[in-house]
Amino acid sequence: MHIRGEVEWLKLAAAGFAYAFLQAALRSDDEADLVKRLRSRDPRVMSILYDRYGRLAYSLILRVVRDGSAAEDLVQETFLRIWNRAHSFDDRRGALGPWILAVARNRAIDHVRSRDGRMAASAVDLDRMENSSLFAKLEDRAVSIDRSRRLQSAVKKLTPHQRTVIELAYYEGLSQTEMAERLNQPLGTVKTWVRTALKALREELTEAVVA
Amino acid sequence: MICEELKDAFELYSIGLAEEEERSEIEAHLARGCETCRKNLSEALAVNALMLASAPDAKPPARLKRRIMAGFGVERAGWGWLGALAAACIAALAVWLSLQERHRTAELVEARQSLIQTVAERDRLQRALSFLNQPETEQVNFGKGQPRPPRGSVFVNPRLGVLLIAGNLPPLATGKTYQMWVIPKGGAPRSAGLFQSAADGSALHVLSGPVDAASLGAVAVSVEPQAGSQAPTTTPIIVAML
Repeated sequence: MHIRGEVEWLKLAAAGFAYAFLQAALRSDDEADLVKRLRSRDPRVMSILYDRYGRLAYSLILRVVRDGSAAEDLVQETFLRIWNRAHSFDDRRGALGPWILAVARNRAIDHVRSRDGRMAASAVDLDRMENSSLFAKLEDRAVSIDRSRRLQSAVKKLTPHQRTVIELAYYEGLSQTEMAERLNQPLGTVKTWVRTALKALREELTEAVVA
Repeated sequence: MICEELKDAFELYSIGLAEEEERSEIEAHLARGCETCRKNLSEALAVNALMLASAPDAKPPARLKRRIMAGFGVERAGWGWLGALAAACIAALAVWLSLQERHRTAELVEARQSLIQTVAERDRLQRALSFLNQPETEQVNFGKGQPRPPRGSVFVNPRLGVLLIAGNLPPLATGKTYQMWVIPKGGAPRSAGLFQSAADGSALHVLSGPVDAASLGAVAVSVEPQAGSQAPTTTPIIVAML
């Protein structure tokens, strides 16, 4: 009884830490200044960005590639890419966190696809979706700790099939056709799972914004 | 397609997984400045960011930041002196280890030379002792009754050779050595090898190999140049008549 209680407490503490960390990492109060320094090629800003987003990027990449050594290489690649593409970022508004996470995820997915000999054609899509100008238009309130909590809550409410396809999409980079093959299910069924899962997540977040 | 039909495809589109038809439609809408689709895309990017940020937390190794910052030419402030100190300590340690290694090598060479000398001395003594143990060995003493001349014995064994054991040998001048001679009866002296005395004036010298003891008339020792001589050039300081 005591042990179970302690485990629950530890889970809560871990979740608390993750949320606090996320909140610190995704705050955007001074991001416009960071973007400005990034665009003016101030290399010291990379140290601030690493402190703020390095752990999130590493956690995400490790989740995808499941290899510590490869994850380190890919985090380095991610920050190098951020540095090289910063010129296209709109310095009036900033959403560096989502952009860095997108780049990190795409580097990891690209690595896994290459390692597994999977389709390289969609590397173009990945590259296109790393365009920093897309993220410059993201509103500050769109990525907040409250919305993160709501999203986690919504993910827990998904059915096992829905949760599986969401994980396959975000963390393994599988297209719906690939998911259907992997899960040995009709493509139409997989598409329904994906669409309903994303809709559920979106609605939960929309309620948060409205509230 | 109208915007409403595309609404569910933005998340997959923004992680590069939309189907070809939906991707083309979304891009067409965005290209013509469709405000609804732009908002949907922003919302999808936010959903994706929140999803990606919810990966299980993992702490990267400390070296990763150093490695990445080194790539941008940025060192960690405040730690430069520690690196310099560590480098200085390593250099000092390397010098100390090098000196220790050199010292140990010299000691090893010295010990090896000492061992070689000891083994040679042991062999020489064994050879000398083997003379004394043989019944056919003949012994002749020299220098008896004289106050300060060299004294000692010569042992002749037809099979083993000639052994000289001497004491009271005078100190040699620089560039000089002792040379032993075997002198056949009625013949000229033949060199029997060079040797040095110890600090106390004692010496032990062996001519190894069979000798014709019956024809041997005397064994002598003279002081000669360091390289030795073909025949005695000084008056012998030892003469043992056989």
